Amino acid sequence: MSGSSRDPGADLRTRFEEVALPLLGPLYGAAVRMTDRERAADLVQETCLRAYRTFANFTPGTNAKAWLFTIMYSVFVNTYRKARREPTVVSLDELEARFDRTLDVPDATGLVEILRNPELDWKGSEADQALQRLPEEFRLAVLLVDVEELSYEEAAAVAHCPMGTLRSRLFRGRKMLWLELQDYARKRGYVKGGREGK
Amino acid sequence: MTASSPHPREMLHELVDGRLRGEERAGVEQHLAACPACRQELEVLRATKQASARMFAPEAPPSDLVSRLRAALDDEDRLRAGPRRAWRRRAPFIYATLAAVLAAGVWVLIRPAPVPADVSRDYAEYRAGRLPLERLTADAAALNAFFAQRNLGFPSRVFDLGMMGYRLVGGRVHHVGREPSAFFVYQGPAGQVLLCEMYEGVPPAGTEDRLHDGIIFHVHRRGHTTLVFWQEGDVACVLVSDIAPEEVVQLAFAKAMKPPAPPASDPR
Repeated sequence: MSGSSRDPGADLRTRFEEVALPLLGPLYGAAVRMTDRERAADLVQETCLRAYRTFANFTPGTNAKAWLFTIMYSVFVNTYRKARREPTVVSLDELEARFDRTLDVPDATGLVEILRNPELDWKGSEADQALQRLPEEFRLAVLLVDVEELSYEEAAAVAHCPMGTLRSRLFRGRKMLWLELQDYARKRGYVKGGREGK
Repeated sequence: MTASSPHPREMLHELVDGRLRGEERAGVEQHLAACPACRQELEVLRATKQASARMFAPEAPPSDLVSRLRAALDDEDRLRAGPRRAWRRRAPFIYATLAAVLAAGVWVLIRPAPVPADVSRDYAEYRAGRLPLERLTADAAALNAFFAQRNLGFPSRVFDLGMMGYRLVGGRVHHVGREPSAFFVYQGPAGQVLLCEMYEGVPPAGTEDRLHDGIIFHVHRRGHTTLVFWQEGDVACVLVSDIAPEEVVQLAFAKAMKPPAPPASDPR
């Protein structure tokens, strides 16, 4: 078959599926954590449809995951976010003080060991809830960098924010998550001791 | 960097992410060797990052997602291919319909284009997710280059609203009335959406006209949406949003380009 006899539409579809279908898992995982399980599949489908419509503009060899996440976040902001939100207000001093207090307590090292134990089952709705309690921007930064392994630059492009803002959200998000995981570990009985004061 | 130097707390995150090289990395490692508090913090950050990767790892989507997606892509393919194939099958009917529609079409073509309604609808359609952006970028120059490639017939002037707290999201080639337009969108810190369109033409007279810095701004209100039009050379510009009306006006004031002053007579 000569190249000229190929249907360019079918070729585009094939190339799109080759790029997008392997990324459905990461897209769905992040969609669940940005919305909920009921709406996540719809968000992924809408994202892929929009990506397909503009696939001719996609440059092969560039980061397809970052490209699809950028589209997904745009769809999420414009159609899935429940309501217009006020900017998240987080007291940086308070967060740092709480985080620092947890470093001083004796069981911090114990929790580090527990977090690293691959045999413990950390998945589950309670773990998801720990992440869900993070403000949306912070949760997104943690998901993009720590779970999806995007660079700071790629994550900033997805979140439509300057890189300095992304760094700040990521760093604070990690500290908040550590605090949440401490509570979670105590509830599961992985570590003993009282709840760190808020 | 030693134990007595300030704790390099932000750089600990960068170290965890493998972003430190050379002297920066050596300096932080030197500090860590002598500072138990930073070593403890580094371990906590590493463990938290690893825990995130394990707990929130990608998961298998519902089993029917791929089939649902393929069905939606099939629909999209049919939409793209449809008119050409349908034309062959239904040509006789289409000729008859065309003749009937022609008269109505002439009226549509000659009637004054309801530009504010058109642009206001664009804003609502975009907000509803029915007008996807073709180029997602926060870089105004990149978006201008995109519009230049698409041959709108006039130079676009995508501007930066970062100082006002709005960041560029991206744009698409669209149309206002029958004119091609540069359609680009900004997002505010609380998710506010600001649309700008530029097209060759003359702005419609407003329900309220404001003069600022030598430029006339035509202000329209449609429901909760405010539209502010102004002219830049042969190009009409409009800024649209459902934020406070005066805020839209002030943003237009800030970003409209003043027409060049008439050449001053040479005093020499």
